Amino acid sequence: MPRMTPAGRTVLIWWAITTVLGIALVFNIHRILPGLLPTAASPLAQSQDFTLGLFTVLAVPVAMLVWVTAAYVLITSRTREMPTEDGPPIHGNTLVQSAWLGVSSLLCVGLVVYGLALLPDIYTPRPGNQLVVNVTGQQWQWTFSYPGYGNVTSTSLVLPVGRPVTFRVTSVDVTHSFWIPAMGVKVDANDHEITQAFVRPDLKGNYTVRCAELCGLYHAYMQSPVQVTSAARFVNWVHQQKPATA
Amino acid sequence: MTAQTSVGRPAHHDPNETKPDNPLKRSIVSGIAVGVPLAIIAYFVTSGLVHTTNADPATIRNDSLVIAYLGWGLGFLFGVGAFNRPIQWALSRNEPTHQDELELAGHRGGAWRYFRFTTDHKVVGIQYLVMGMVLFAAGGVAAMLIRLEVIQPGAKMFPIQTYNTIIGMHGLIMIVATIIMITGPFTNFVVPIMIGARDMAFPRLNALSFWLLFTAVPIFLSAPFFGGFQTGWTAYAPLSDQTALGMDAYSLTILFFVASTAVAAVNVVTTVATMRAPGMSWTRLPILTWGSVASSALGLVVMPSFLASQYLLMLDRTIGTGFYKGDRGGSQWLYEHLFWFMGHPEVYVIVLPAFAVVLELLPVFTRKPLFGYRTAVGGIVGVSSLSMIVWAHHMFVTGWSPTASGPFMLTTELISIPTGLVFLASVGTLWRGKAWMTVPMLYLISFLWNFVIGGVTGIYLADVPTDVQLHGSLFVTAHFHYTLMGGGMMAFLAGVYYWYPKMSGRMYDDRLGRIQFWTMQIGFNVTYMAMFYVGLQGEPRRVGDYAAKFAVGNFISSIGAFVIGASMILLWYNLIASKRRGAIAPANPWNAKTLEWQVPTPVPLENFEEIPIVTAGPYEYGTPAEPAHIAGEGVPST
Amino acid sequence: MNKSSPGGGPQAALGKLSMAGAVVAVAVGAALVLGLALLLKALGAHPFTLKASTSSSTGGQTVAHLTISAYPDSMAGEHGKSGGAHPDWVSYGPTTNLWVPAHALVKMTIKNYDSATALNSPFFGNVQGTVGGVAYYNGKPLKRINPNDVAHTFTIHMFPTAGQPPLDVSVPLLGVADNAPNAPGSQYPKPTVVTFEFHTGASGRYIWQCFDPCGGTSYYAGFGGPMQNLGYMAGTVTVGGGAVA
Ligand SMILES: [Cu+2]
Ligand SMILES: [Cu+2]
Ligand SMILES: [Cu+2]
Repeated sequence: MPRMTPAGRTVLIWWAITTVLGIALVFNIHRILPGLLPTAASPLAQSQDFTLGLFTVLAVPVAMLVWVTAAYVLITSRTREMPTEDGPPIHGNTLVQSAWLGVSSLLCVGLVVYGLALLPDIYTPRPGNQLVVNVTGQQWQWTFSYPGYGNVTSTSLVLPVGRPVTFRVTSVDVTHSFWIPAMGVKVDANDHEITQAFVRPDLKGNYTVRCAELCGLYHAYMQSPVQVTSAARFVNWVHQQKPATA
Repeated sequence: MTAQTSVGRPAHHDPNETKPDNPLKRSIVSGIAVGVPLAIIAYFVTSGLVHTTNADPATIRNDSLVIAYLGWGLGFLFGVGAFNRPIQWALSRNEPTHQDELELAGHRGGAWRYFRFTTDHKVVGIQYLVMGMVLFAAGGVAAMLIRLEVIQPGAKMFPIQTYNTIIGMHGLIMIVATIIMITGPFTNFVVPIMIGARDMAFPRLNALSFWLLFTAVPIFLSAPFFGGFQTGWTAYAPLSDQTALGMDAYSLTILFFVASTAVAAVNVVTTVATMRAPGMSWTRLPILTWGSVASSALGLVVMPSFLASQYLLMLDRTIGTGFYKGDRGGSQWLYEHLFWFMGHPEVYVIVLPAFAVVLELLPVFTRKPLFGYRTAVGGIVGVSSLSMIVWAHHMFVTGWSPTASGPFMLTTELISIPTGLVFLASVGTLWRGKAWMTVPMLYLISFLWNFVIGGVTGIYLADVPTDVQLHGSLFVTAHFHYTLMGGGMMAFLAGVYYWYPKMSGRMYDDRLGRIQFWTMQIGFNVTYMAMFYVGLQGEPRRVGDYAAKFAVGNFISSIGAFVIGASMILLWYNLIASKRRGAIAPANPWNAKTLEWQVPTPVPLENFEEIPIVTAGPYEYGTPAEPAHIAGEGVPST
Repeated sequence: MNKSSPGGGPQAALGKLSMAGAVVAVAVGAALVLGLALLLKALGAHPFTLKASTSSSTGGQTVAHLTISAYPDSMAGEHGKSGGAHPDWVSYGPTTNLWVPAHALVKMTIKNYDSATALNSPFFGNVQGTVGGVAYYNGKPLKRINPNDVAHTFTIHMFPTAGQPPLDVSVPLLGVADNAPNAPGSQYPKPTVVTFEFHTGASGRYIWQCFDPCGGTSYYAGFGGPMQNLGYMAGTVTVGGGAVA
């Protein structure tokens, strides 16, 4: 190990300080900006919020390394006039280059492994008795039908709390994207195809379905209400609805 | 001196050549004079013919419009003289003389050479710079209109279909502008001089690439007059199968633009491979050259996929094929993959030259050699190679095969490793260096700030679990503006201020440059931080109206955007006014060591009196005097 | 040599340009952009907003009356007698911007002069959100009509602004016969008259559209042209603040 120069020590200290401050900021961001993230109404959304926070915490030391080093140079050696002397002719440093490569590779592999471990949460159903909802996107409205309940159809989505849901999503015209921000669910609605998304809503409340793929004139208005309610109220509601076709 | 090579003298011209310029010959005037009538004739002839066989009026106009655009394009290129040499080659056995070549290169000078088919790489570079600035202005006006509409909820400014068209206009204009912004002006003007060449390998192709781009611009700007296109710049099918005739303008624009990038890319790669001065080994190449080659080679592979996607779309829309139509067995998958096979690498087509500009300029303003030159080259080449196998991260939530998401997540995140090497080179070069705070240097620093934010937020989108939530939201929009604008465009602006003295012969106004920098930085960060905020809150992209809870973030974002707009006007003012009233620029105001600063300003035609022999690398700062070249013993001037 | 060469850096040009010129340039640029914005706004403006006529019925309930029409072309809608830029596009008229009072019973009449096109989604053959869940087709009350017989739909859905009550009303319009002759003295056949009633809540802004793929077969899924432009098959409904006496 080469001995650390005073400049190096100063940068290291400030890097540590700013990193700690930055991470503290991440932990308190919901106090400074309430409502930054939509209400997490499913375990999936909660896990996404955690991942967002985790990545931000990991990003802080990386960003600070670049910024603190740059700031140190700017503060200590800045000049408006053309420098009269050149800097030292350093062409590289094998140790620094290898260490940088090693650490960034490790971080990268870590992120990939983490992401792979969470893939089943996105692409497979939650265990349990599935409520199947057929979701149809069209320009510019969603319709939801319940094949388990006589195929009743509605323009609002009502779900019983705590029951796993399988959305079978399609479109009758262009590509839309079925997105419930509060539940962290998103999948495209493709013409002449059925795609699937899975979630278990575990918080009663009123949320929104958004179209997340530009689909023409009224894309901005392509949203529908979502209500997560008790199983009894859900059954009550579903029996008041009428089927799509008589 | 330790500069990379010699000072040349102006090339001598034939004094007998004093004929005045004929503005009608091979110029923009003759181009329009042929192109416009041909477009009109093509439209009426084809609409008359097709009327008899097809009863559907909408289809007819659509076919004819495409033919009219093709008529304009071919007519303009013919009129501007792009086909003169191929025709001459085919019909006679005359070979052009050196005098003919000088004529074509605009050796008599004068402003008209910028408005005609001129082959001198420096003329082409300046043509590209002006075109890039014009495109930034057009895309910027669209951006201002967007932010006016969404400054408050309610879509109170324009009808929503107008808004939907404006976002697509803004998107594609800015994509084209950022693709050409560095490799157009700087690679063309600077790289041949940097490597010790007299011109590009294929001077006619160089001029052709610019005029192909020029052909495409009026086609695209005509889109709003034909109903626009409400698809955004991604033009997803089958929405693009459905939207108005402006979509055909989009498709034809891409046909001409991709041809332009292909021609330019072949030229850049060939030039660097074959035209280097003696002693200019691959490891002595200035890093801008590496960035330009990597970007061009990448574009050469991926841009044709864009052309294919639009060609099929054009067939779907005109002659009724069903490549993207589900009801005819077609599929939006085909479009999405063709599009993103270009769409993601295209980000690196833009960003690689930006990386290279940053690494090129940092040694000059820190007075230090580039830190880890070979590592940086490895980073640039690594990014360019890996970027071709990451495109399907745009498919994570399309409902495609879930088993494919893992591998594409891996390739996408691997890109952070070579990108990190570029950052190491930047930070390592800064370390223990001087910090000469010129306007270009300020932009280099802002690149380091902005691109780190752009890169880090990219991780959220590369990782499937968080991408599911953020995909299609304004978070994505903010992210790619941090990379392409905060990174790419800031590097472009650094380059503009850095090379302006060489390209224009004048110094820019320093005080105005600093005001421009700070307004740009503050405006930019306010705009897109606020956009991250509303994106995390759950506001989707590309909406002209939104819920009340997004109002605060959008208002702040719009105010920031107006500051950016004002800043860009300051840049225009500075560049134009300084061209007339600025101080005469010295040949090497930055005391830089690369070859373009060793030739006089203005740079003579064919650049060097004699081709230099290069004996050292381009960034030998802090090294005791040692000749880096042997002047005057290279290849004599032709 | 490690010393800088003379020749002057950018400092040589410090403050050469006048700041006043820069300020003027910014002002001119801002004015041009704003001018363009106002031009686009004017080009997209609707001729007028149709206000429902109101009266107070027994019990103090505000009752509003609103009549609009759906045409097979643009020769009688909001684009004037000449038909505007696209005379052959289907359209609603006299305008697509509607105003109704808050907390009122709206009695709406739609005269449809157009023939049918099968719905993309049969769901919109249902009458929804009206009083009694029915609409009257030439006087005959129906809860739904055959999806193949629908010419257009009049469907209000919710505006994405929090704090305003939902207003979901959807009524399919029964098409006239494909080969119906023009009525005497008219450029159109005898219309299907559809009447229905709905209640409004507190004030708010809503949008409405047609869900029938009436945009023509040359557009994918029949949703191009008139379906993609305000003023033809889409518009706004403003629920006014407070009851109008
Ligand atoms: Cu949609
Ligand atoms: Cu990508
Ligand atoms: Cu309709």
